[in-house]
Amino acid sequence: MDFQYRKPEFQDGVLDFRRFVLLVTHQFSDRIRFVSELELEHAFVEGQVDAGELELEQAYLDFLLSRAFNVRAGILLIPVGILNERHEPPVYYGVERSMVDTFLIPTTWFEVGAGIHGEVGRGLRYRVYAVSPLNAALFTVEEGLREGRQKGSETNAGRVAATGRLEYLGIRGLTTGVSFWTGKSGFEFRPTFDVPVHLIEADARYTRRGLELRAQFVEIKVSNAAQLNDALTQRVGVDPNIGERMRGALLEASHRFFSSRRLGEVGAFVRYDKANTQAAMPPGALPLGQFDRDAIVVGATYWPEPDIAVKVDYVFGRNRSTVVQAPNSFNIGLGWWF
Amino acid sequence: MRNNNTPTREQQGPQRRLRSLTRLALALGSGLAVAVAVAVASQEPPPAPPTAQTVDVLAERFSFSPSEIKTTVGTTLQIRLESDDTSHGFRIIGTDVNIEIPKRGRGTTTVTFNAEKAGRYTFECSQLCGAGHSFMRGVIIVSDARPAGAR
Repeated sequence: MDFQYRKPEFQDGVLDFRRFVLLVTHQFSDRIRFVSELELEHAFVEGQVDAGELELEQAYLDFLLSRAFNVRAGILLIPVGILNERHEPPVYYGVERSMVDTFLIPTTWFEVGAGIHGEVGRGLRYRVYAVSPLNAALFTVEEGLREGRQKGSETNAGRVAATGRLEYLGIRGLTTGVSFWTGKSGFEFRPTFDVPVHLIEADARYTRRGLELRAQFVEIKVSNAAQLNDALTQRVGVDPNIGERMRGALLEASHRFFSSRRLGEVGAFVRYDKANTQAAMPPGALPLGQFDRDAIVVGATYWPEPDIAVKVDYVFGRNRSTVVQAPNSFNIGLGWWF
Repeated sequence: MRNNNTPTREQQGPQRRLRSLTRLALALGSGLAVAVAVAVASQEPPPAPPTAQTVDVLAERFSFSPSEIKTTVGTTLQIRLESDDTSHGFRIIGTDVNIEIPKRGRGTTTVTFNAEKAGRYTFECSQLCGAGHSFMRGVIIVSDARPAGAR
């Protein structure tokens, strides 16, 4: 659950019940489990109106065969990055998710598919899934891949995408991982051309005695971006300026400096967050400075209980444009998880 | 001609008995020594007292760290469990171990597992803690050989 007050600079504040999540699970046996997550975004859904969304973010059967080899099928969370598979407000600092986890890794990213997962040795985990691809016709320069998610709704599966993650949790407090996603996403333009998209990601998270450090890097290659831009220009009359490469990174340091069994915990954080959806352009196209964005976010979180987080932060937004200014914003959030 | 130093028949009797007794004693002593040596050599070492091993395990959504615990037969394994977020469960499948791990900041809980038989024992979170709950699994590997570094 995620309830927010957001106040961008020069605009009125917004109160928003951002996410309401229901988790339904069933254990058929020790080896077969069903997991689902139904999420209502922005509290209200109405047909044909850009209001809220009701999303089935997860709904899968897990066949637990052995520690090293298990099979999963249904609507799956894409195993990319730190946040996508573990995205509830109490586990991350900041009212809003980072730009890296919004525009480059479009959290919460879920698709229909099937795959295998398991763990070997002292904490080496893997997940490999075949899933429905993105829809390149819906990529935007503002939000990168985000609008291209098919979300398991009558998805085109003419070409199947592959995604996976390898992570190591063998050292107490440290989680490191690498992820990938690759798929041909131009099904609306075939057979004229296709749009292969490749994403690679690396991350690390270290926690010790209240100190937490996070680092994440993402690089995306959109092949045939020039043809995609031409085709979309013909379709809508405006050049969408999709970049050939998108790139982003974040660094975050935080510390829980107050801890009391009765009163809870308080932590503060600082984050550097950078997302450039036009890191490289197709030949002949020029990048626009407002899409080379970064931000410094400072804030604090109070946990009266480990599963409840009261958050406050201030975002110093920046971009490379001399015309379009990136607004700063002040945000308050209340999130919980049960 | 008789040598006067030669013992008479009466004198030879006790000496012969003495030699016989000496030989018998030596034979018995040797036999006993061999028997003791054989017995000592073939004797099993006395059973070692059960060893104890303590492992700290951190639970968080959605992992146990470490997720693999190695021990040997005869070891009493003490697993100290602590959560870094919400409350979790800890169940060793096939045993009666099933305990709640308190929330972050509410202390630790300890379970005792007697490694009586070699094998792999899967443990898992037994309290629904989120959509990645199924990832929270690990294994205790009980082997006959003593692992390096075991206390």
